[in-house]
Amino acid sequence: MPEGKYCNKTPVETPEEVNFLLSDTSGNTYYEEMESLDIDSDLLWKTIQNTFKSRLKTWLEICAHCGMCAESCFLYQVNNRDPKQVPAYKIQSTLGEIINRKGKVDNKFMRHAMEVAWAQCTCCNRCGTYCPHGIDTGIMFGYLRGLLYQQGFVPWEMKIGAGMHRTYRAQMDVTNEDFVETFEWMIEENEDEYPGLTAPVDKEGADILYTVNAREVKHYPEDLAEAAILFHIAGENWTIPSAGWEQTSLAMFAGDWAACKMQVESVYAAMERLKPKRMIGTECGHAHRATVIEGPYWAGRKDGLPPVESIHYVEWLAEALRTGKLKIDPSKRIKELVTIQDSCNYIRNQGLKDATREIISYIVEPGYFVEMSPNKEHNYCCGGGGGFNGIGIFRKQRNKALITKRDQILKTGAKLVLAPCHNCWDAIRDLEEEYNIGIRWSFLKPVIIKMLDIPDHLKPEE
Amino acid sequence: MATAEMNGATFEIDEDGFLLDYGAFNENWIEYVRGQEGIDELNEEHTKVIEVLQDYYEKNGIAPMVRVLSKLTKFKLKHIYELFPSGPGKGACKMAGLPKPTGCV
Repeated sequence: MPEGKYCNKTPVETPEEVNFLLSDTSGNTYYEEMESLDIDSDLLWKTIQNTFKSRLKTWLEICAHCGMCAESCFLYQVNNRDPKQVPAYKIQSTLGEIINRKGKVDNKFMRHAMEVAWAQCTCCNRCGTYCPHGIDTGIMFGYLRGLLYQQGFVPWEMKIGAGMHRTYRAQMDVTNEDFVETFEWMIEENEDEYPGLTAPVDKEGADILYTVNAREVKHYPEDLAEAAILFHIAGENWTIPSAGWEQTSLAMFAGDWAACKMQVESVYAAMERLKPKRMIGTECGHAHRATVIEGPYWAGRKDGLPPVESIHYVEWLAEALRTGKLKIDPSKRIKELVTIQDSCNYIRNQGLKDATREIISYIVEPGYFVEMSPNKEHNYCCGGGGGFNGIGIFRKQRNKALITKRDQILKTGAKLVLAPCHNCWDAIRDLEEEYNIGIRWSFLKPVIIKMLDIPDHLKPEE
Repeated sequence: MATAEMNGATFEIDEDGFLLDYGAFNENWIEYVRGQEGIDELNEEHTKVIEVLQDYYEKNGIAPMVRVLSKLTKFKLKHIYELFPSGPGKGACKMAGLPKPTGCV
């Protein structure tokens, strides 16, 4: 069959198209249609010839099949060490086969490749640090996802997510007006407790341009309030952009390369327009990867950098604590066993392990912090990365994937897990719901607000 | 297909426990989710949140932002969390019979 009504090769680009796809609850008809979706092999092969360049080509060819990547992969470990879960096998049997066959693959193959690309790899990049050749299967799966997206073989929620970015320049149906209004609402609800609290919009030349995750606007606005409170107490000269505020990219998870570029360019346009000294993103892992690490390449920036210096929230927090802009009341520090989840996207992939440990040194009473094992750049994915959390059809596989993190947490003995990444936070919440191990989990912002030593002039009048 | 049961009624649910068929919503569903969410007793404020969510969903095919929910119910964010501890995007939408919100939720 050619293109389905719901499942097809055409990107979603308007609110009507987003709603139409959403109306197929859980994507039931979408996946039925996918079973008869044709492959455009000519387009697929042409795309590969244009985009499959030296790094990926070399990686695919030089793999020595040594198997060092096997044990590095938590999905291999947690799935009874099934040889089909060895990273090298996973990529060779999918991307490798598409290339061997010059794009002449069938529908069943593509549906299988979709499952491998989204349910057997979270793009955590851990295998890349153990491969003697430095082959990063996570990067290669990111590429494969792009080929699958082009051909319409993409999980329903990912197609919606990419469509949201194309439609709203946000991963959810949140407009620029909604963003500003929600921030203002959060200021209103908190200004009695924090007199003078503001969220300046479109202030040119501010020290900080703050960008967020659309979920904070749509479902968790307290996160916006907490960011405003911390900048306020720290005395920062900050602003939010009325457009270009969404730092995340479900388009990256979906493999929608064109939407990745559109999304990140909207943030860069805000930087160019408002000329802040720095951009700081919220406590999100993939948002940082999308906007700060990979985004410059999507946008074709020759220097590989965003238009202004861009740092992760944990870097700002560490700096604010170090410089005394934020002061912690030592009597309010955490005095129970606590551990921290290292987000793959900014710990392994950008080396920010020292920033989070520095924060810990201020907010946890000495002796109460317990590292997971392994940790820092060797830490395992939360189990829900790369879009895995949000894909209903692969929920069973995702729940199994959570076991690695569950067992790591259990071994620490900690009942509180700090998770400065939305995706990790969600996965840890879901593992508690699924396995009931009796833990609590939190972002850093709410924990720190509770222990701040607030200067008298910023306190409400009695 | 997973199912949930309450007072003899059976509901088809998705992998995260959200109602699959919005049309199947009834009082038994509310009672089922109340237990799941650990809410002791439902009051008219819970009902108001459910009505607002359903009304918006029927018109727009998607759950509203919390800001819209707060405007229409006149409840502050803190109070919405008191009513639905797992949050407006999860617990409240689930109880109202809406599908699970997509994206990073």
